[in-house]
Amino acid sequence: MAGGYLVPLGLVAIVLVSAAVAGILRRLVRLSVLLTLPIAISVVLVSALTRPGETVLFVIGPFDITLEGIDFAGQTLVRLFAISTAIGLFTLTTDPRAFVLDLERRGLSPRFAFVAAATIEAVPAMVSRAGVIAAAQRSRGLDTEGSVAARLRGILPLVGPVLLSSLTEVEERSLALEVRAFGRPGRRDLLWCPPDRPAERLVRWLLALALLGLVVARALGAWPPIP
Amino acid sequence: MLELRGVTYRYAGYARLVLHEVNLALRDGEIVGLIGGNDAGKSTICLVASGLAPASVGGELRGEVVIDGTPTTSLPVHALAERVVLAFQNPATQRSGVTATVFEEVALGPMNLGLPVPETIQRTRQALATLHLEHIADRDPTRLSGGQGQLVAIASLLAMRPRHVLLDEPTAQLDPEGSRLVAAALRDVAATGAALLVAEQKTDLLDGLCDRVVVVEEGRIALEGPTPDVLADERLESWGVEPPARVRISRALEGARLPTLHQLGWMP
Repeated sequence: MAGGYLVPLGLVAIVLVSAAVAGILRRLVRLSVLLTLPIAISVVLVSALTRPGETVLFVIGPFDITLEGIDFAGQTLVRLFAISTAIGLFTLTTDPRAFVLDLERRGLSPRFAFVAAATIEAVPAMVSRAGVIAAAQRSRGLDTEGSVAARLRGILPLVGPVLLSSLTEVEERSLALEVRAFGRPGRRDLLWCPPDRPAERLVRWLLALALLGLVVARALGAWPPIP
Repeated sequence: MLELRGVTYRYAGYARLVLHEVNLALRDGEIVGLIGGNDAGKSTICLVASGLAPASVGGELRGEVVIDGTPTTSLPVHALAERVVLAFQNPATQRSGVTATVFEEVALGPMNLGLPVPETIQRTRQALATLHLEHIADRDPTRLSGGQGQLVAIASLLAMRPRHVLLDEPTAQLDPEGSRLVAAALRDVAATGAALLVAEQKTDLLDGLCDRVVVVEEGRIALEGPTPDVLADERLESWGVEPPARVRISRALEGARLPTLHQLGWMP
């Protein structure tokens, strides 16, 4: 059982220490909790209430709450948190444009680099657009304040405009890029490459080795899957 | 030369034709203004003339668009980009999203053309200087005002040194000084032998800039001629276009039975 917690918690510890060194610990924890919370709630409820097991801890109505169910929920939660903190650390410390530029420098197609950058930037761009549309709708009398139900009612009319304007913007942007010969085949001479210090290269190699080690450990059964 | 020969166009999924038998020729070194009310078809003419419609936008095109003797339909989009560029209305959607500074944003077009780095840098510096943007070269392109964004978008196209330039409301978000800068830059581009088409609502800008003006109304060319004649046409307002201040002042003076600007010798 301990192995199911140890590795993910070890990863979380490494990520949190890295975040503390980078000065983004609070933002990372907040982001990770926000990312994990919706899934975590459903995982805990489903696992605790429906997971069969031999050790019944207590009973709620028709549901037996078992030790195995709680254990499964706990292992899933720490894994989810490990994933969300790792993703959070990446997005909070990496300039997406520098990232895709470096990928292109290493041979990635400019088109794929654009798709990657657009994907990374899509969420903040959509949030920003939603803010503008919400402000415009509020100025025309839409109520987006008050209780949760009132807020939900206020958000629904924004969904259509946000999605449609996002699609239109993507189309216009792709046209503007075509005008600038973005689809021209052949290599481009890039103006700069992101700085790459020896320490960063060393960390990258260590991470690659760690990934390899984890894959081997899983293959050899040293790190058991969730039961 | 860039020519539209009997062009009729319909957007994909629409039953209505947006352009009807449009004939328009942009000669090398000429600046042509394109005016008309909302939904008259100005933006569509720009899209069709650039070759993006129907190649990228889709839709159905009848007639022919010919760039320097080559029909656009025989060229891939990236080859079209080496001959004709189009500036869109909204500067936000013209940002590539893959650059960290204004300098890189302007350099993207020359880079895509496969130019060597020294030439890309030289062209970028020149385009930035032309529109007085050197002071924001290191800024994040996502954090510019609308006017600055529009100037950066135009600089990005000028850096490609295109043979033909199409601009759809290029000064919509610019202050008077920005508009003057763009006008001066466009004159410089035309002086290199490029043909320019400027779709604009600001007739004052076109008044001093264009050799010819074309009025489009419900997807058809309603009037075409030398700039002073077209901008003084009595029907302009019925087509949803406000005449330039020069014309309005002259009419007001005439209405008050005072000497006109022309009679005073203040205007040609």
